[in-house]
Amino acid sequence: MEESIGRARCEELAKSSSSFYRKVYSEIEEVGWESLRRLGGDLTFFSFHILDKKGRAHILELQLDRDYPKSPPSLSADVPCMFTLEWSTISRLKDVMHQFRKHLDSLQEFWSVLDDIDKSLCVVDAKQPSRASPIRRIRAGKDCNIIARINFDDPKSLPECRFIGPEPVAVNYLYMIWRRNSRKWSKEKSFPENLECVLGTELPKPLGLQVEDDHQQVECGICYAQFLPTDEELGARSGTRTDYSCENISCNKSFHSLCLTDWLRSITTTRQSFDVLFGNCPYCSDPVAVKINMNKID
Amino acid sequence: MSSSGAPSHKALSKIACKRLQKELVEWQMNPPTGFKHKVTDNLQRWIIEAIGAPGTLYANETYQLQVDFPEHYPMESPQVIFLPPAPLHPHIYSNGHICLDILYDSWSPAMTVSSICISILSMLSSSTEKQRPTDNDRYVKNCKNGRSPKETRWWFHDDKV
Ligand SMILES: [Zn+2]
Ligand SMILES: [Zn+2]
Repeated sequence: MEESIGRARCEELAKSSSSFYRKVYSEIEEVGWESLRRLGGDLTFFSFHILDKKGRAHILELQLDRDYPKSPPSLSADVPCMFTLEWSTISRLKDVMHQFRKHLDSLQEFWSVLDDIDKSLCVVDAKQPSRASPIRRIRAGKDCNIIARINFDDPKSLPECRFIGPEPVAVNYLYMIWRRNSRKWSKEKSFPENLECVLGTELPKPLGLQVEDDHQQVECGICYAQFLPTDEELGARSGTRTDYSCENISCNKSFHSLCLTDWLRSITTTRQSFDVLFGNCPYCSDPVAVKINMNKID
Repeated sequence: MSSSGAPSHKALSKIACKRLQKELVEWQMNPPTGFKHKVTDNLQRWIIEAIGAPGTLYANETYQLQVDFPEHYPMESPQVIFLPPAPLHPHIYSNGHICLDILYDSWSPAMTVSSICISILSMLSSSTEKQRPTDNDRYVKNCKNGRSPKETRWWFHDDKV
C-alpha cells in the first residue's frame, strides 16, 4: 500500500471517524505539507523531504503502527547511522523531524568530507553513492584503487583504507607508503590533500575536470593548479579558478590574479599605480597589468 | 635565530606543495636528458644526479645537485648547489655554489627544476676549460659560515664561457 495520495485524500480520511487519521493529518500539517513526498493510502507510510544546513536534500521515511503514537514510528533515511528516537506518548511527528534535523546537523562534517572527495578525486563507484555510504573507491593511478571508509563519528580522522588493483607490486608499494606515512594525516587538511600528502603523489582528478583541462588550458602558469587551495590565509579566494590571461595572443597563459600579483610584488621591476601593478608576463615578458583587488575589477 | 642563509626550513606553503607535486609528476613522465631524480619522500629537497653530456669536457662524469625549495616557491627561486665534489668549471665554486643568473635575479615562475637542470647542463657543456672561478678561494672563504648562494650579490661573469 504505497500508492501516493494527495493532500485532499488525506483530508478526506481525516474527516472520517478514525482518530488515527485525524491525528496523522494534523501532525503532517504541523511539519508542513510542502515537506511531504510520498504518502501511503492508509497514512501508515510516508516520507518527508528535508534540506540540511548545506542544502543537501534528504528523505526521511516513516512507518506508523496502527497504535501510533503509543509505539514510535519506525524510521529510515539516507544516513550512515540512525539516531535513537526519543519518544513518549505525547510526542508528535514534528518532534521526529526536530531530532532528525539535529542528527543531520551532526553529520555535516561527514558529508563535507565526502563531497570534497567526490569533487576533487576520481571516484570510481558505479553510480552516485548514497549519502548513507561512508565508502569511496578512489582511483590512485592506473594500477591501483583505494577503498576508503570514512569514520562518520570523526570524519577528519585517518580513514580505513584498502588498496586493490591488478598489479600486486604497485598495490603493495602504495600500501607500504600508506603504512609508513599515515601519521602525516592531519585534521587540519582536507581529505584529498591528506591522501596526496600521505601517498606523496598527485592523485587523478575527477573525469569531468580532466576533460575540461584538455579542452582549455586553465591551469595557472605560476602555481600550476586550476583552483587555488582552500586556505585560511586565502579566505574568500580559496578554490577560485584562474581569472587572468596574458593578452599576448601567442602566449595567452592563464594565471590566478593572486599568484600573478604575488609574483609581481616579489620583484623590484614592478611598478604600481593606484591599485594596479604593472610588470611583465613571466612567460613571454609582455607587459601585464593586474588589479590588486580583483573584487573591484569591472 | 639568524641562520645566515642556510635554506629556510619553513615548510612549503600549500601552493608550493601542489606545484612541486606537479613538477615531480611531469619530471617522472618526461625527465630532462642526463638527469636522475633520486626518489625520497622529501618534496622540499630534491637530490638530482647529473651526468656530463657526451662529447664535452664532463662526459661520463656524475655529479649531484641539491635543490632546496623555499616556503613560497615559485615566487622565489630554489637554492641549487652541487654537492661535493663540484665539477671544475669557471662558474662553479668549489663549495658547490653556481654562478647562473636564472638561479637568482633572473628567476621566473615560468622556469622549473627541469629547465634549471637543462641550463646547468648547457653551462657545463659549453665550457672549454676545467678550472675554478678566479675568485674561488676568496668567495668560498666568505661563505664559511654556511651562507646560501642566494645571499650572494652576484655579478654575472661574462656570457661566453
Ligand atoms: Zn595560481
Ligand atoms: Zn605572456
